[in-house]
Amino acid sequence: MAIVSPVIDHPASSKHRDHLRVVSSQAPQRDDVSDMASGDNDNVRFRNMVLPHLGDAYTLARWITGNRADAEDVVQDACLRAFRAIRNYDGGSKRAWVLTIVRHAAYSWLRRNRPAALVAVENLEAVEEALAMPGDHDSATPEAALIAKADAARLEAAIAALPSPFRETLVLRDVQGLDYREIAAVTGVPIGTVMSRLARGRGRLIADIRRKE
Amino acid sequence: MTRSTDRADSILVHAYLDGELDPANALAIERRMAAEPALLAEYKRLEALQRLLRDRFPHQGPPPELRARIGAAVGIKPTRVQPSWRALAASIAITAIVTSGATWVARGPEFGDPVRDAVVAGHIRSLMASQPVDVVSSDRHTVKPWFNGRIPEAPRVVDLAKENFPLVGGRIDVVGRKPVPTLVYRRHAHFISVTAVPVADLADAAPARHPADGYGIVRWTENGVAYWAISDVGADELDSFVRLFRVAPPLT
Repeated sequence: MAIVSPVIDHPASSKHRDHLRVVSSQAPQRDDVSDMASGDNDNVRFRNMVLPHLGDAYTLARWITGNRADAEDVVQDACLRAFRAIRNYDGGSKRAWVLTIVRHAAYSWLRRNRPAALVAVENLEAVEEALAMPGDHDSATPEAALIAKADAARLEAAIAALPSPFRETLVLRDVQGLDYREIAAVTGVPIGTVMSRLARGRGRLIADIRRKE
Repeated sequence: MTRSTDRADSILVHAYLDGELDPANALAIERRMAAEPALLAEYKRLEALQRLLRDRFPHQGPPPELRARIGAAVGIKPTRVQPSWRALAASIAITAIVTSGATWVARGPEFGDPVRDAVVAGHIRSLMASQPVDVVSSDRHTVKPWFNGRIPEAPRVVDLAKENFPLVGGRIDVVGRKPVPTLVYRRHAHFISVTAVPVADLADAAPARHPADGYGIVRWTENGVAYWAISDVGADELDSFVRLFRVAPPLT
């Protein structure tokens, strides 16, 4: 479990500061009653807001990081962030709020641990240009029936091979079922960008299925 | 027709597939797809891809041990923790959750009554109105986005047409001064309202019958939402509706 410690330790400074307020209620120094109450409220909020979306959190983390163990570390990190930020939630979809935090946690985890995985993102403009020319749609795209039979492992590999902005958009929509507005909130881009990324991600998957037949 | 679609058309087809178009634009693209085979083929491919993704990667909960790990990580107070305490802290966190769930179940009935009354009232009022829904559509891709513009969280919308419970539409009911989503399904000439009311507690509760005022009512909770299904269909039919509703894949 060597990998766990850096994830827990990473946000240590702010975490310790936050928890000191709670701890102070046990070693009374100031304003202890309200601190204790708000600490309890935070726990309740966390249970109500974050825990129901743990499955979604894990799914997104797994698709961003590419493996299960990393995803668990990311989700744990994200949960700590969510717990500290729980009072910043100001309405809207709770799932989208949680997934926004998971996404940030996942990319900062990648930056710390596997910076190479992020290189592709820097060249997104070029990638978008390349993907914008999917070639002849008419004759060569497979019919719907062919798509329905696509092999699961290949499909997974094809998704994994998508540049991460396309991959996360596609996963949020077609695997996790978020609507455009939620995806825009989670990924921090305008809805128009969500739409074009989704179209390109899907287009590329269909092209991949075609290529492999 | 050298290329099936240009990019703008293609984006519209994607948005239609995702239920993101307003009725006027949805209608427009439907008409165009009916007239242009290439556009329709594009739609069918995308639909097949979406179904494939949904089937191959069904919604899953987190790995069981992750939940305990999160409880431990969040419940621990870092200034006091020694490594050997972690397991203890985890068990405390879990106990706390289980206990609070039990408390809630114990005081369930009296807590639930005003909500039940509101749900029944919503159902009855809807039957008195000229139509039981505010948005009429058998297409869940239309119903879900309709909610998105009106309440913080759209409800889980499932398609049970094949099981002979076609979707009629949706409406907003008011429970405890809060707007909540209600889906309306049909069984022959009877309507079934499903109202989704957020609850403060996480503990899932299995479906239980709460009949009132001559209506069959089944309530269950899932992921912090209490679902109230109410109808004048037979109790067995309502039970089977609830069973189907719970297992059906939600709209993605």
